[in-house]
Amino acid sequence: MKAKTKAERFCGNCDTHSAYDYPKQVFCMKRFREKKDPIVKTLWHCEDWNQSSQECNCIEDAKKKE
Amino acid sequence: MQRKEILGEPVKHIEVDGKLTVDQLIQQFKNSGSFGAGRLSVACDIYERMLRDKDCTIFLALAGAVVPAGMRSLVADMIREKLIDVVVSTGANMVHDTIEAVGGHHYKGHWLANDYVLYRYHVYRIYDVFVPEEDFVKLDINLSEFYDQIADEHSGKTISSQVFARELGERLNDKKSILRAAYESNVPIFLPAVRDSEFGFAYTLHASRRKNKNLLQLDAFKDVPEIIDICRKSERVGMIVIGGGVPRNTIQSAALATKSGMDYAVVITMDRPETGGLSGSTLEETVSWGKVKGSADKVMVFADAMIILPIMVASAKERLGSGFKRTYAYSQRAAL
Repeated sequence: MKAKTKAERFCGNCDTHSAYDYPKQVFCMKRFREKKDPIVKTLWHCEDWNQSSQECNCIEDAKKKE
Repeated sequence: MQRKEILGEPVKHIEVDGKLTVDQLIQQFKNSGSFGAGRLSVACDIYERMLRDKDCTIFLALAGAVVPAGMRSLVADMIREKLIDVVVSTGANMVHDTIEAVGGHHYKGHWLANDYVLYRYHVYRIYDVFVPEEDFVKLDINLSEFYDQIADEHSGKTISSQVFARELGERLNDKKSILRAAYESNVPIFLPAVRDSEFGFAYTLHASRRKNKNLLQLDAFKDVPEIIDICRKSERVGMIVIGGGVPRNTIQSAALATKSGMDYAVVITMDRPETGGLSGSTLEETVSWGKVKGSADKVMVFADAMIILPIMVASAKERLGSGFKRTYAYSQRAAL
């Protein structure tokens, strides 16, 4: 099994993110379940960050928009 | 039987001259009477007879992704114009209806799209229709709120999928929505496999946000006496089936439970009978179960429902004319 490469920590590559306002904002399922504001910036992250198991284009595209 | 009886009616060749209305084309199909054209013309005739039969309750079974593909307004209009009396649907079709009702969209895509690229862009594919993930997210946020409201309103009491669909319809502010049209028209929508859709996933959000307390209680078994009651109160029952699966069997089984079977049946499917699956099973096979009468007015059309249903509805409207007014064959809300 291929080992995960270490990624920069962003909401956009966290395991609990879904698209919301692509690519600027993502929806955090964990925060939604906890009744916190679930809409967060793609390039933000919190202490619960957990690397996503599969890659997406969120970070790359959000950085282009910066 | 005499040989001349076997060769009683020659095939009349299809003629397309000048401007043809939809029903005029169907009449040409009827003249041919052959293959898919013949079956479609029979389906149009049966649907017309169902509509003209004032004692027939017409069920519509919706399976397959016809709502995301563009059949949403057609079904909503059929409900508002009393061209059907009861809907039995997959949860998914009503999920996609709700997606649009809360501001989402479905997009024209392509069946040859690179699905890994779609995955990386958070876009889902339904054959050649694309749905962005954010529209599901916005749906989940709305449903989570709706579930809270419905749970509080019913204060712990269990509801059927039909009541659940009505509660959703009441909360959707979109005239083009199937659920809204059904709510405003008092047309029941049954969702026998409701949890097998985003409705089920949204339940996990509702449950976790409420820490598993004061939750929406939905019991699909409650649908059974409700739908059987509709069949029992109807002099005759007919069904138009898109696809098949659970919605088709839910209707047929209700007719069986009343020991009467369906009087009219039009099944539009591209499935085959050899696997034993319900969506491809022939209506003759259904007769063996007593779910469709042996004498029923019935036909299967082996074609894409996205093409066939709009043609059937257009043909029926043309035949019936704008002055035709149909009343429901039974008093739905009083019955439920």
